[in-house]
Amino acid sequence: MTAQLESQLVVGAILFVLGAIGFLTRRNLILMMLSAEMMLHGVAVNLTAFGRYHGNASGQVFTIFVLTIAACEAGLALALILGLYQRRKSLDVQLWGNLGEPDLPQMSTEEGGRFAPQHPADMPILTPAGRMPNSPVVPSNTKI
Amino acid sequence: MNSLLEQAPLLAPLALGILAVWMLLPREGNRAWIIAGLCGVSALLWLTKNFLPPTDNVVQTGMFYAFAAGAVLSGVMMITESNPVYAALWFAMVTLSVCGLFLINAAPFLAATTVIVYAGAIVVTFLFVIMLAQQGGATGYDRKAFQPTLASIAGFMLLACLMFTLQEFGGKAIAVEEGEDPRMPRPQFILPPATVMANPLSQPMPRKDKPDQNDLGTLQGVGRSLFGDYLFAVELAGTVLLIATIGTIALAPRRSQGTL
Repeated sequence: MTAQLESQLVVGAILFVLGAIGFLTRRNLILMMLSAEMMLHGVAVNLTAFGRYHGNASGQVFTIFVLTIAACEAGLALALILGLYQRRKSLDVQLWGNLGEPDLPQMSTEEGGRFAPQHPADMPILTPAGRMPNSPVVPSNTKI
Repeated sequence: MNSLLEQAPLLAPLALGILAVWMLLPREGNRAWIIAGLCGVSALLWLTKNFLPPTDNVVQTGMFYAFAAGAVLSGVMMITESNPVYAALWFAMVTLSVCGLFLINAAPFLAATTVIVYAGAIVVTFLFVIMLAQQGGATGYDRKAFQPTLASIAGFMLLACLMFTLQEFGGKAIAVEEGEDPRMPRPQFILPPATVMANPLSQPMPRKDKPDQNDLGTLQGVGRSLFGDYLFAVELAGTVLLIATIGTIALAPRRSQGTL
């Protein structure tokens, strides 16, 4: 059983590192999310292997929690990706390079890196807060 | 330098495997499929010889090799596939192989749940979004990976650290310690600590229908642990799911802003 545990830990480590490489190199937003899910798979293999080796059910329960959080993450990530896709009509993550700090070096490879907002639809729409000011806005010909 | 040379049986297959991944990552021009494939397969065989020795149970060993190779190869294909639809399908293959590993680890309930949640829900939803957003297949940003060399080096460092820790403090260290070799360090993270008891309801108990077996991995054992020891965590997880649902509805694009 010992050798089996070590083998499973090796497989978990390889899956985790493959997911990390995918997350760093892919530029498609959806594939970045899938790579993160693959890292979670590596962790889940580790957890169940340790649960089997120690002979209790805690490892499987932890994996159930990992599954729960992965489902939450997938839903939120899809909503965010759809919102981002609507603004730029592309799934390229490098189009959002201008979200970073302005004094950091740009790691972009082509297409000029920074993508300046071109039309006002790119800017976020803020919900107005507080009371509406009434004095200068009211047109003069309205009867109060 | 000497100690690095001593670790060559550990580092060489990792370097070969990472080199294969680096050659396969999407880039402009042709990729060296044959050389990369040879490198990857030889790295896997080398790793198998060093780290994954066959056990006495032939069926279990064969199943483990099949599922582990399926998971690793599908993972490599997923991160190197330039068409996102095929990459999502390779991710489904990774999920199915990992479910096979769960079955080996006596977790049939978890395997079924993972197939339903991942292959049934997540992959299908992601495929749905890909087909809505990107009908032309691979686009320019899919055909060219971002900084493949740096990412490969980082992955190699991480994997080498993990495997070195496993080699020094893992199962082989246990085997040597049983032979009373004082030079080997103690296996620090694999053995259960002697002074700390596991949670009481998570321990396996005799099955009701078959008293000679314990209920490790059965639905009864998992449920007793989940709703006994981890009840508050279950409530928290339910709350997180509810909050994620509300957040998703709040974040989703409005119909007035137009759909895809």
